[in-house]
Amino acid sequence: MFRRPQQLPWALILIVFLLCSLSVYNLEGTVGPHIKDIHWQQVKWIMIALPIMIISSCVDLHFLRRLAPIIYLAMNGLLILVLVMGKVVNGSRRWIDLGFFNFQPSEIAKIGLIISLAAWFQRYPKPTYFFSDIFVIGLMIGCPMFLVFLEPDLGHTLMLMLITLSMCMIERFDRKTVIAITTSMACLSPIIWTFVLKRYQKERILTLIDGKVDKLGAGWHSYQAEVSVGAGGVLGQGRGMSTQVAGSFLPENHTDFVFAKLAEENGLVGALLTLLLYLALLLSIIYTSSIAKNRFARHLSLGIAGLFFWHIMMNVGMVLNLLPVTGVTLPILSYGGTSLVTVFVALGLVIASHGQRQVFDR
Amino acid sequence: MPAFIEASSVDQSQRLLGISLIITLAFGVLFLRLVQLQVFEYEEHSLAAQKNYTRDQILVADRGTIYDRKGRILATNKPTFDVYLSSRYIKDELQFLEKISSILDLDALDRLELSDVIKSKVFKSKKTKLATDITRTQVAAIEALNARLGGLSVKVRYQRVYPEGEVGAHLVGYLGNPTAQEVKSRDIFPHQMVGRYGAEKLYDHLLQGQHGVERYVVDVKGKKSDAPWAQMVSERVAYLKPPVRGQDLVLSVDAHVQSILYRALDGYESGSIVLMDPRTGELLGSVSKPSFDPNVWSGRLTKSVKRDIDENPFKPLIDKSVHSFFPGSIYKVVTALAAMEEGILDPELPIESPGAYEYGNRVFHCHKLSGHGRVDLNGAMAASADVYFYKLGERLGIDTLARYAHHFGLGERMLSINGESRGVVPTRKYHDERTHGGFQHGLSLSSAIGQGAVRTSPLQMAVAFSALANNGFVYRPQLLLNSQNINGELTERFTPKIMKRLEADPQHVQMVRKSLERAVNDPRRATGYRAAVPMGKVAGKTGTAQVKTIVRGHHKQREQRWRDRDHAWFAGFAPFESPRLTVVVFLEHGGSGGKDAAPIARRVIEGYHQEIEPIFDTQARLNLNNYPNSNLDDHNINRRF
Repeated sequence: MFRRPQQLPWALILIVFLLCSLSVYNLEGTVGPHIKDIHWQQVKWIMIALPIMIISSCVDLHFLRRLAPIIYLAMNGLLILVLVMGKVVNGSRRWIDLGFFNFQPSEIAKIGLIISLAAWFQRYPKPTYFFSDIFVIGLMIGCPMFLVFLEPDLGHTLMLMLITLSMCMIERFDRKTVIAITTSMACLSPIIWTFVLKRYQKERILTLIDGKVDKLGAGWHSYQAEVSVGAGGVLGQGRGMSTQVAGSFLPENHTDFVFAKLAEENGLVGALLTLLLYLALLLSIIYTSSIAKNRFARHLSLGIAGLFFWHIMMNVGMVLNLLPVTGVTLPILSYGGTSLVTVFVALGLVIASHGQRQVFDR
Repeated sequence: MPAFIEASSVDQSQRLLGISLIITLAFGVLFLRLVQLQVFEYEEHSLAAQKNYTRDQILVADRGTIYDRKGRILATNKPTFDVYLSSRYIKDELQFLEKISSILDLDALDRLELSDVIKSKVFKSKKTKLATDITRTQVAAIEALNARLGGLSVKVRYQRVYPEGEVGAHLVGYLGNPTAQEVKSRDIFPHQMVGRYGAEKLYDHLLQGQHGVERYVVDVKGKKSDAPWAQMVSERVAYLKPPVRGQDLVLSVDAHVQSILYRALDGYESGSIVLMDPRTGELLGSVSKPSFDPNVWSGRLTKSVKRDIDENPFKPLIDKSVHSFFPGSIYKVVTALAAMEEGILDPELPIESPGAYEYGNRVFHCHKLSGHGRVDLNGAMAASADVYFYKLGERLGIDTLARYAHHFGLGERMLSINGESRGVVPTRKYHDERTHGGFQHGLSLSSAIGQGAVRTSPLQMAVAFSALANNGFVYRPQLLLNSQNINGELTERFTPKIMKRLEADPQHVQMVRKSLERAVNDPRRATGYRAAVPMGKVAGKTGTAQVKTIVRGHHKQREQRWRDRDHAWFAGFAPFESPRLTVVVFLEHGGSGGKDAAPIARRVIEGYHQEIEPIFDTQARLNLNNYPNSNLDDHNINRRF
């Protein structure tokens, strides 16, 4: 069940360490109606997540692959559970309250889906995938996607789809089928817009297009974030001097909008360095994927890379007012137990992929 | 299995490379956006951020004080204290009621009402005004009570007060709340009072001052913040621009003079007295009766007070000094000067002036039925012989007469204060356009004695008679002497302004002056003898203006009788040799110029000489130095020889 990794991806580990430090550094001074000294809390969470990462990096990938169907079922089970007995927060059921801590099944679903899909690709390797395969994939992801959508959590729904797409990118699909599907999706989108999307979701998208539309209502977050970032200038305002954060003008500055705080306090220089750090993280995960000796490991790493990539894109895009507000957090930098644990589990799996390479000739 | 891996693994590696590229490109987009926001749009966002955490508080400037020429206060700001009740915070209602009733000296009815308010649930959440304009002692007592039992707060506000009250109220004016349009166009606040009448309005722009601004740092709730970040930012961003108080004004009028004038009108319901210095055009005094209390008008105007004022038939809100009326015989100075200038009158030539004069198909009467016989200018002026002047008017024609009237400044606004009227200087054209039947030659005759359509205001007549007094200078009346800032330093000194010159032969002017002197001092015939004073020589003319009874509306009998009466005028100057005062007395429907107006002029002149400053020397000496035209050759006067 467990197997120690033979080699460790030191570059990756270094980057993760830097990001953790950055996270704690940045979280100092965030304000809000929550815990004081949140950066110490983050340290606590990192301490909790670290052993989890170590455990996850030691999981025998063969074992994991065989466990995939059970994982898949469990994931969907939790998703149904949260719909039934989840805690209602802001009109949606996303959390299960276990008393001493709460967790979000949709976070677990992401990892679960990656594992399931990776296992599927390993089980059914084909030079080209056709409609029937696409159909199967569609069903596989459709189930959790649908359940997540019902919570409602548009952000994570989208995320599941994007991760799937990322994982499919290294496989070849029948061209005609792809075109057909893309076209029909395009035709479906107006229907989705009118009937499926909720009002506030539409508002968020609209606000994006015309940023000045409703600064006091739906557009408040993105507007404030944009102002915060812009006011950072090239060199930043300095620690503790980010007026927008310190004065509580920027909401959610410890979770969704941490990047705005970082950008305001550290300017273009700080923001750029952070982005480079993330880019390095992604590229090292892709590297792990490229040197993987079996499909499962390859797809696993790629899926996790996709997970991180889309999280970063959607979060930073939202902060910079390029994408609509979706409530997606920034890996490691955002405060949050569940998010951190999920990230560390994922990282552990990447380390596992990297370290268990030699054993993959079976 | 290996086959599959190898077959497609190269392909997959290539794809992974492609994916890496796409990822890098995506990050590139984020980076570009960062540059856009943080470099190119930095200014814009910095400003927006600042708007978030700063607030600008406007500090209202104090209004300037108005002083009279001797430094007495005519209008100023007094801090008044108002008490507010927040019944929610009262700790012991019964005790509270006891104590507050004794402090505010409430009677039983007020106590009951207050008790209801305190108990009422509706008022629990509101702040209500309990009392206004309380004394400082009461403030102290209330603060003490509040410390023990709570529920009270004292607020200061500044109230405009007018110590002179209704004396000279029209000249000083009063304040009112601005209209919505004014708030926008003049950049003032809805609760900032503006001048609505008198000097308060005329010089409002000087009295207002400039507002200050205080910029301070706030938190997201909009409250002033002193968190550490706020303090650091404050140093960069906060500032205070203190408000600049409005200018204090020194007017040319003398409050003591105003009270002399106002008292002089006792016994008459409606009228005006204007006192000017003919040497400079300074307005020494101007009152209008009936008057009103500007303290009430600038404060809380109760419905009953407003109603009383609106319904007062003598119209307290109209400033009679700048309103125009039929001048009657005082207009004869214009006719006399015009006739001499036109060369149709020899002042020493006696002209027949009977009791009536036939002209056209009408008969024009003299006020004295038996007529005056043959009189020269001095005699005609002294006795106010109407026919003498009818004849002059006939030969001058209304248009020529109008031309000379304009030389005196008649038909023009002097100060543009209080709805000042320009008056009427009728011409042929005027009558053609406005009179039923158009112009008729008889109107030249009526106009010559200040009837017909002629209308002048007391202020205009003061300016005209001053021009005669000072030998030819028509001054614009000067109300403002100087303006000063809060430290008492002069910001601007205002000088006399000459509107125009009487383009007349100085000898003709002297003739008219002499005739005015005779009109008071001629022992046989002077109609204005009641204006004479024992200390020196007064010159002037009486006027009794017949008011055409226009039956308009239904007035009460007594009022109708009043409206039928003639206006009474006296216009003159003293001392005759070197005049220092011009007096115009106007009594609306007051009766007779000689019997009613002239004695008032005497009272005014005597009062001034005794109470303000002596204007008569024991030996009347020509004081040439006080004259603008002390050297006659200097002037570019149109000489008609």
